[in-house]
Amino acid sequence: MQETNRPSSGPENPRRRTFLVGLISVMGGFITLVLGGSGLFYFLSPAWRGKKEDWVELGPVANLKEDEPVKVDYLQRKSDGWEVIESPDTVWILKSKNDLVAYDPHCTHLGCHYRWDTDKEAFLCPCHGGTFNKQGEVVSGPPPRPLRRFTTKVENGSLFLLPEDKKS
Amino acid sequence: MKKILDWLDERTGWRKVKEVVLDRHVPQGIDWRYTFGSITIFFFVVQVVTGILLAMHYSPSPDHAYDSVKYLSSSVPMGNFLRGLHKWGATGMVVFVSLHLLRVFFMASYKYPREVTWFTGVALFFLVIGFGFTGYLLPWDQKAYWATTVGAKMVEQVPFIGGALSQIMKGGTDLGAITLARFYAIHVLVFPAIALLFLGLHLFLVVWHGISNPPEKNDPLTGQEPDWKQRLKTHYQELKAKGPTFWPDIIFKDTTAAFLVFLALIGMALWKGAQMEDLANPTDTNYNPRPEWYFLSVFQILKYFPGKSETFAIVLLPAIAVLVLVALPFLDRSPKRHFKDRKWLVLAGWMSVLGVVFFTVQGARTPLTNPVVEKDPLITEGKRLFGDLHCVYCHSLNGQGGQVGPALDQVGLRRNRDWLAAHFRNPKKVTPGTKMPNFNLLDSEVEALVAYMSSLGGGTFTPQAPRLFEDNCSSCHKFHGVGEEIATDLSHIGEARDAAYIAAYIKNPTKLNPDGAMQAFDGQLTDAQINDLAQYLYQQGK
Repeated sequence: MQETNRPSSGPENPRRRTFLVGLISVMGGFITLVLGGSGLFYFLSPAWRGKKEDWVELGPVANLKEDEPVKVDYLQRKSDGWEVIESPDTVWILKSKNDLVAYDPHCTHLGCHYRWDTDKEAFLCPCHGGTFNKQGEVVSGPPPRPLRRFTTKVENGSLFLLPEDKKS
Repeated sequence: MKKILDWLDERTGWRKVKEVVLDRHVPQGIDWRYTFGSITIFFFVVQVVTGILLAMHYSPSPDHAYDSVKYLSSSVPMGNFLRGLHKWGATGMVVFVSLHLLRVFFMASYKYPREVTWFTGVALFFLVIGFGFTGYLLPWDQKAYWATTVGAKMVEQVPFIGGALSQIMKGGTDLGAITLARFYAIHVLVFPAIALLFLGLHLFLVVWHGISNPPEKNDPLTGQEPDWKQRLKTHYQELKAKGPTFWPDIIFKDTTAAFLVFLALIGMALWKGAQMEDLANPTDTNYNPRPEWYFLSVFQILKYFPGKSETFAIVLLPAIAVLVLVALPFLDRSPKRHFKDRKWLVLAGWMSVLGVVFFTVQGARTPLTNPVVEKDPLITEGKRLFGDLHCVYCHSLNGQGGQVGPALDQVGLRRNRDWLAAHFRNPKKVTPGTKMPNFNLLDSEVEALVAYMSSLGGGTFTPQAPRLFEDNCSSCHKFHGVGEEIATDLSHIGEARDAAYIAAYIKNPTKLNPDGAMQAFDGQLTDAQINDLAQYLYQQGK
């Protein structure tokens, strides 16, 4: 093509030109706004969508031993996006006279599964020797925080647990 | 600012690019018909943006594809809207790429020196069709499954290599997981890459040769002059010098056109949305497969070719169409572009357009062979869950399944919804000592299972219905072991007909089947009784 050295603005009316450019911007802006806006809303929506509470029924409270932590295994069925998944998990329950506590089964140090030692009356972590007492407080070892507690509720004599996301 | 722009110019040459692309002059008379190509590109952009977003909530496997699309439409903010844009954007793309092709055809813009522009355009046209074909398998609903089944069968008709081609397309002998993954990869990776390549070439050539001027009457060039190519070019330069610049005049037209079709697109996405049919079901003999509207003409044409002649329609006709399109610039080489100088070709073009429109309309008006059975989606969902949870290990249905729990054939009559819901939430609470485990079902799952269970045994027919059958029908019809087999065995009638049809038939059989020997029951039985009977036959005949 040989028409490359033409002046960039033609002989046309500069006001008409401004008018056209203005309209192009408005219409182009509208398209960008609707398409980009709805797309962005769609993409960013996880930020403000709350977590769904997935309560698990663990069974009758009456069956639990008193004053000694019990390991309760459960199978949780929950929706994961468009799928429904079943994941086995576990929790430590300590029932005392007026209280019921559910401990996250992971050590607060680096997330290993601890166990209850009846003789020492303590939770022992096999990884780095962290020790927690019955109340979940750190007795010795590297754990920085006491054991995490899950929310529980009792309905019609049955214990319900709200396990939260695992943090290592 | 100027410094920065200068710096950039030295390194990118953008001022020159701007001059060549935006400030170039175009011939006079570039009217609205010239916006079809730009609109197609606009739709392509919409498809890319919405497509990328949809892919974020899509799982290309038969197990999850349907559920993921359903989830995206129902649970993700704006998901349904974006899916609507993508679906109708596909339709828009087919419409406008076709209009663009027709514009170029009727104005003979494919002639010297724009032949290669035409070739890349034809390739892009078929890519758009390919996008459509690979795209609508992805939701894995009935339409998707059956349209692709038919498509694969059509490919099989190609002589000699048809079988191999069909297997390559499906990734095996059957339509399934591999097919879906293949189509997905082609739809989102292969085709977009090829489309971008051809689109880049196409646009480069459009800028390189300039937009073709509208055809002129009394064009003096005949193609016999030794210097006609040079004269054509000089003439084009003259026309260009008189015309407006690409920016902002042409861009304004294109943007306005894109804006208007975008409004229409939003309207369609909001008003019609993107419907989903039932989950793909290879065992369904009751479905009416219909392709997307842009394949309806092919669908219709196939009806006219019985037996072996079908190969002609499936293989030869499309092949001829492709060949003619590709060879067009060689068949019609004179520089004369006005339609008065190309009467036969223009006539052939119009015939083709009218033909496609006619066959599309005929195809769309084809009556449905199978009755459309309205299914409650909740019941369908419950039925699926019933299978997924392996309920039949313990319970029997239609004589199949375990004996640990009670048979469920009549459960809808025995148990009400509240009981069923409580039972699914915690079986031991409702029936102490039961062996049924607690499945920890989600609320939505309980709801679906309750809907399905309530539908079993009808729920809508009365316990008198079996008596009605025995008294009125069993002397001719058989139904689950009851009655004579003088007329049709009705044991599976529910799979082929819905309750409304059955009721209408009992009322007045000759209206639906003029050759039938069955007497009309209108007047002999009350409407309530007929409906009761129809529900019974429908529900129990599945």
